[in-house]
Amino acid sequence: MPKSTAKSLVVVAGLGIGLLFVVGFLSGAIVRGTDNALLDKPEIHLQPVPILESDAKFVEEEHKLPNRFVLTNTLLSSWIATAILIVLFFFATRRMSLVPRGLQNFTEAIIGAMYDFVVSVAGDRNARRFFPFFATIFLFVLVNAWLGLLPIYQALGFIKDGAMERHLLRPAGTDLNMPLALALVSFVFVEFWAIRILGLGYFGKFFRFGGLLRVRSMSGLFQTAIDIFVGLLELLSELVRVVSFTFRLFGNMTAGEILLLVTAFLVPFVFSLPFYGLELLVGFIQALIFAGLTLVFVTIAIVPHEGEDHG
Amino acid sequence: MAELGFHWPSLLVYLVNFTLLLAILYVVGYKPILRILNQRTERIRGSLEEAEQIRAESEARQEEMKRELDQARQEGQVLITQARELADRYRDEERQKAKVEAEAFLTRARSDIERERDNAIEEVRQQFADLAMTAAERVVERSLDKDAHREVIEKVLQESSKIGGNG
Repeated sequence: MPKSTAKSLVVVAGLGIGLLFVVGFLSGAIVRGTDNALLDKPEIHLQPVPILESDAKFVEEEHKLPNRFVLTNTLLSSWIATAILIVLFFFATRRMSLVPRGLQNFTEAIIGAMYDFVVSVAGDRNARRFFPFFATIFLFVLVNAWLGLLPIYQALGFIKDGAMERHLLRPAGTDLNMPLALALVSFVFVEFWAIRILGLGYFGKFFRFGGLLRVRSMSGLFQTAIDIFVGLLELLSELVRVVSFTFRLFGNMTAGEILLLVTAFLVPFVFSLPFYGLELLVGFIQALIFAGLTLVFVTIAIVPHEGEDHG
Repeated sequence: MAELGFHWPSLLVYLVNFTLLLAILYVVGYKPILRILNQRTERIRGSLEEAEQIRAESEARQEEMKRELDQARQEGQVLITQARELADRYRDEERQKAKVEAEAFLTRARSDIERERDNAIEEVRQQFADLAMTAAERVVERSLDKDAHREVIEKVLQESSKIGGNG
């Protein structure tokens, strides 16, 4: 392509984008007010929304989900993410060859990079034990976050009286139950490996009452009291970790979702594009943080604490 | 928590969902991919080791060839030296032999010459004696005792040969 043609294409595209932005600005909530904007005023639901009509009615009346299994839009989204991952790996590993091609090459690159990361944190010996869990958390969180950025997520839903009543899909990360489930699984994973490798001695890290038997002086008693307190703090931090894991992911995903909705509401075109880029990054970072922290915690947990000798 | 969306059946479903995903991805994804990555690593390592081995073998072979060449050169040198020595010895022997033969030939020739000379002298002496007798007979013209005659002549000849030998 000649240089001048490329230049004129860039100019035309720039003008088009600028025009779209102006149109978006004029039709958005900033100029036309919240009631007359091009898009409906975004309704922020922290609760996942049921897909079935009967469940939706129950929620409308009781303001809570029924105490049984409910197919929600976030759950459906998580199933789609699960299906995508399974199908991707199924086709990638169906006919594997020593010289990789296409999908196999792609998945091998991802798995290889993640495996190297796990080795760099946990060491060669533990990498095989921890890798499947790390990779699944990372991929699940990432795919869920990125799926939510697809325009179809905002477009599909149930319309009532000309307005979107319920969205069919919503990123699973914005459902508290999904981060909570991952946090619980992560907690169990860390404790499982710690107990398996260190045995019951692992609990010695939290309950340091053994020092009381060796107290000889007042300063020794003071030291032991501090030690016991620190142990209990460790226990508390271990449990609080579930909460921090849950709300970190939930908060980030929900905030991202709200940010995109609000920016699109304020200026329907162009304006939200940089935020989509930001959300791509946030999704990746959150996936890495969730999986990475789990890996770091389990690597720390399997190291015997001072005074113990576990070989 | 309910306001935030906590719903224990959903939580349970997410837990089951994640566990299933972990299990399926392990079987369908991680295990085969890690296996093939391992296989590839092993293959590459094997190839590198093989290449290293071939290089080492080639070096060893080259070294051996060099050594054999050196040895052959040394052996060749020894052979040349031996051949030279042999040739020298043969030449000396032949020279010696030729010398001995020449000397033998010379000695034989000398003795032959001496013998021939002696024979010639003897013959000359005989002829001379006969001639002298004939001459003496003719000069004296008388018949003398033949034996006394010969005795005189022998005596004369001996004296003459003494004179000839000294001469």
